[in-house]
Amino acid sequence: MSRQRSMEAILASDYVSIGELVRLTESRYSTLKHYTEEGMLPYEQEEQNLTRRYKREETVARIQQIKEWKAQGLSIPQIKEELRAN
Amino acid sequence: MMDLTLTQSFSLIALNGQRSLEMTVPKKVALRCMAAAVIVELYMENGFTHSQTQLTLSQEVLDQSRSLPYRDVIVKSLARKNESIGDLRNWLRRASSLPASTLKKLESAVAQSLRNEGILEEIPHILGSDLYFHTAGVSIKEYRTHPKYYTSITEFLRADILEDGEAADETVAMLWLLRESGCLLDFFSRNEMEQVSAKMIALYKGNALAQVLYATQIRRGMELGIKQYFRMKKKAIKTPVGSGLNFVFPVLERSQAIFIDTEKMFPNPTARLHDVRTRLESKGHIVNVLKDGDVPIIKVDNVIYDAVPHAVYGRVPIHGVRLIPKCPF
Repeated sequence: MSRQRSMEAILASDYVSIGELVRLTESRYSTLKHYTEEGMLPYEQEEQNLTRRYKREETVARIQQIKEWKAQGLSIPQIKEELRAN
Repeated sequence: MMDLTLTQSFSLIALNGQRSLEMTVPKKVALRCMAAAVIVELYMENGFTHSQTQLTLSQEVLDQSRSLPYRDVIVKSLARKNESIGDLRNWLRRASSLPASTLKKLESAVAQSLRNEGILEEIPHILGSDLYFHTAGVSIKEYRTHPKYYTSITEFLRADILEDGEAADETVAMLWLLRESGCLLDFFSRNEMEQVSAKMIALYKGNALAQVLYATQIRRGMELGIKQYFRMKKKAIKTPVGSGLNFVFPVLERSQAIFIDTEKMFPNPTARLHDVRTRLESKGHIVNVLKDGDVPIIKVDNVIYDAVPHAVYGRVPIHGVRLIPKCPF
């Protein structure tokens, strides 16, 4: 049996799944999936069909940054440019 | 954001938008599933002792259930027949066929625990904003889940099942509960449903919990007849003609289409939408406009609607907007 991790366990972990990122950042799954497919959120995947793992601190900070840029009115291509420049 | 038990998470989804004072068919189905969720929750927390295929509630659970009143309701109702209930499937069947009086106690215990945490509230039902209910002064109440929790639970579920990798047991159980309570179609598009079905079949083959749950149905008598009717309707709406009909008659009536009369015939959609929004907000609803235009899309208390300009013809035409529930994906 594999149980859903508690918030405490997630916050103590180095790596998180996309579902856990949803809980941490209060974002939509489809949004984070889109960011991942656009290459804006780097991840690690040991083998195909295994869970994608994201570095918790880096990815949460990046999602917050993307949200701020979106609030400032930047489009996704512009945000990608910003991420590349940084 | 606090951690919730399986029963609490499922209840927040199942009770959202349901009438709080009356026992409607969708709510009764939801309550049966909530009773089953309590058993699954205890099973996942090793609350049963196994002897061959028989499961018996452990003494620890019987002692500790008092700290969680909603568990206490179910445990007390079933503990009397503890010896003879049998395997997990029998426990689920027994829990889901408890009498309406016990289901009401369960509802009030769960709702109270969620209200205490500030994540569930009772507000005037959206039907109260409908022309006929509004003018007749009829008051109906409904449950509303805190939008942050509603989104978090449903989006986690979507991520966990649609992504590659192993799904958590909570997700396995939640999918089954949503399927049995008729909520599953609220969270997945038609294309995603195909992925979900494939994943559920894979889980059924390889996951011990899924093998028991997915083969168990929580349906009784009249409710079964209603489910069959909805299934027939679902098949019908898969055709192009049927899809048009679905615009008028939603697949499952967990939410209702309503007609809101406007103060006058407005010259543009923005003014019309503003008037409708004012009416809804005056009744305590949270309204978000997702898309502007001639037929705006609005979100009212976690449910998404198409706001279609409409008129009702009596002695004089009454102009307004019909809110038609819409699948969010």
